Amino acid sequence: MSEHAIEAVGLRRTYRSRTGWLRPQRREVEAVRGVDLTVGNGELFGLLGPNGAGKTTTIKLLNTLLIPTAGEARICGFDVVRQTREVRRRIGYVFGGDRGLYDRLSARDNLRYFAELYGVPGREQKRRIAELLDLVRLSGRENDRVEGYSRGMRQRLHIARGLLHRPRVLFLDEPSIGVDPVAARELRQTVADLAATGTTVLLTTHYMAEADELCGRIAVIANGTIQALGTPAELRHHADGRQVLEVEAYGVGDAQLAVIHALPGVREASVVVTGAAQVLTVQSDAGVDVQADVLRALDGVRLGRVTARQPTLEDAYVAIVNRVDAQALPVEAVAV
Amino acid sequence: MTALLRLIGVGGVIAYRALFNWTTPAMFVGTLLVGPLFQLLFFAYLGRQLGVADDGFYITGNAVLAASLACVFGGTMAVSNERRFGTLGHVLLSPRSRTAVFLGRVLPYAANGLLIAVTTLTAASLLLGLRVPVDALPGLLLTLAVAALACGFFGLTLGAIGLRFRDVWLVSNVSVALLLLLTGVNVPAAGLPAWMRVTGELLPITHAAEAARRLVAGEGFGAAAPPLAAELAIAVGYAVLAATLLKLFEAESRRRASLDTL
Repeated sequence: MSEHAIEAVGLRRTYRSRTGWLRPQRREVEAVRGVDLTVGNGELFGLLGPNGAGKTTTIKLLNTLLIPTAGEARICGFDVVRQTREVRRRIGYVFGGDRGLYDRLSARDNLRYFAELYGVPGREQKRRIAELLDLVRLSGRENDRVEGYSRGMRQRLHIARGLLHRPRVLFLDEPSIGVDPVAARELRQTVADLAATGTTVLLTTHYMAEADELCGRIAVIANGTIQALGTPAELRHHADGRQVLEVEAYGVGDAQLAVIHALPGVREASVVVTGAAQVLTVQSDAGVDVQADVLRALDGVRLGRVTARQPTLEDAYVAIVNRVDAQALPVEAVAV
Repeated sequence: MTALLRLIGVGGVIAYRALFNWTTPAMFVGTLLVGPLFQLLFFAYLGRQLGVADDGFYITGNAVLAASLACVFGGTMAVSNERRFGTLGHVLLSPRSRTAVFLGRVLPYAANGLLIAVTTLTAASLLLGLRVPVDALPGLLLTLAVAALACGFFGLTLGAIGLRFRDVWLVSNVSVALLLLLTGVNVPAAGLPAWMRVTGELLPITHAAEAARRLVAGEGFGAAAPPLAAELAIAVGYAVLAATLLKLFEAESRRRASLDTL
């Protein structure tokens, strides 16, 4: 058995596209720009990053759907470019969203078909499918057409499909996207159970709490490269020396956010809309009390609760990603 | 070997249920049984009016052509609908033989086409009074089966093209119209310009229609064998072409990210 379940060295991927006939424009986007990664056998590894950071491309390079422009990667010791069949026998791939299943078929028939595609022996299929339906809590609904399933049920069926052939490495690409909190908690439980059975899991997600709860190690990817890698506790150190102020507000505009960002001692400022309210999060140097200045900058805005707290993993993630944004290199080139 | 046969047989049937749009009874009967029968009647009565050829010419030719609708569109759906459901990536991640996966998908469509052709021929013969020699029936059944298979592989080739070009339904629609025109089913091949005749020779149906007409005319299997062999060669040719294109476009998709796989 290979020492590592996943190994990537200098992995790069450039997308080239051409638009227009009379005056064609060639566009190059460097989606992944040198990813180095090793994931041990049985590890539950998180890959976090903003939209367009290169998470899905990295997964597609590792699962053989794409060929790297440069660098190399191995899964269980097999090269993802030259030994695709060996790699595919050992991997499962699950992605979030409504698509990726045959809507007209029942869950059981979806699993039967993919069991054939993934080479599950005929005599084992019935038992394996029943096991997985139990595992993802779809027993009792297995004969219903998938078109009537909720998103949470679909996600669980995706996971069952990904596990049919007992893969040693499972890629979970934002599996909880758009799933309600109860279904997301069930999904997390399923993923945790998988890791407990020794399956290596590479999980991409936008949800810090999910990564924090599940992953032994996390890599933060932004701008196509790994910006930070470590245990959740180690990553939190990226927000060391900071404190966080959270203000519930109604009507914070870009101009006010810019003013807050420019205040002495402020390191990050962002607004997230939650329902009718906004939550303004301000990270500042630990020794500087910015609360009075921030509230002054919000003069005229209706405010709710104001809270000061210690940084979380999410704050550390924001700090890492914003640091990259500040020194961002161009990833896109256009030629006429 | 058993696993391969399961992939082709069981996998093919499940894929048919998953991907074929016309499996509901109303769609199946309306689109695949009633539609071709009325088309046949249209051309038979038009032929009577214009005096171009007798009923046998139109009934036999259109019965063979009846297989094409389900097979050409079915073969296209067998690949292109993977995009619609977002399942293409999962199929491409299979470690199994692509050739077995996709060629196995054609068999249910070919069986479907055969059923439609037989039903159309039977119904039209009863309605218009065509007498088919009893000893010609086994050969006729074989001819219709080969025609259906050739159409299925032709459809799969179009489906493979659909991996690269999104507007494959346009190609399928035009192809079905070309089969109507170029295969000599409704317009005798002798009446077509040379380039159309040559193009028709390379399409499914043309040779099967010729073989079927010889059988119905009572010329015997020996007379029908050469065009039947030609139809079989066309079927094999499209099977090889479809397999090659599928392999080519999959390899290209890994290099150029050209497939919207997921």
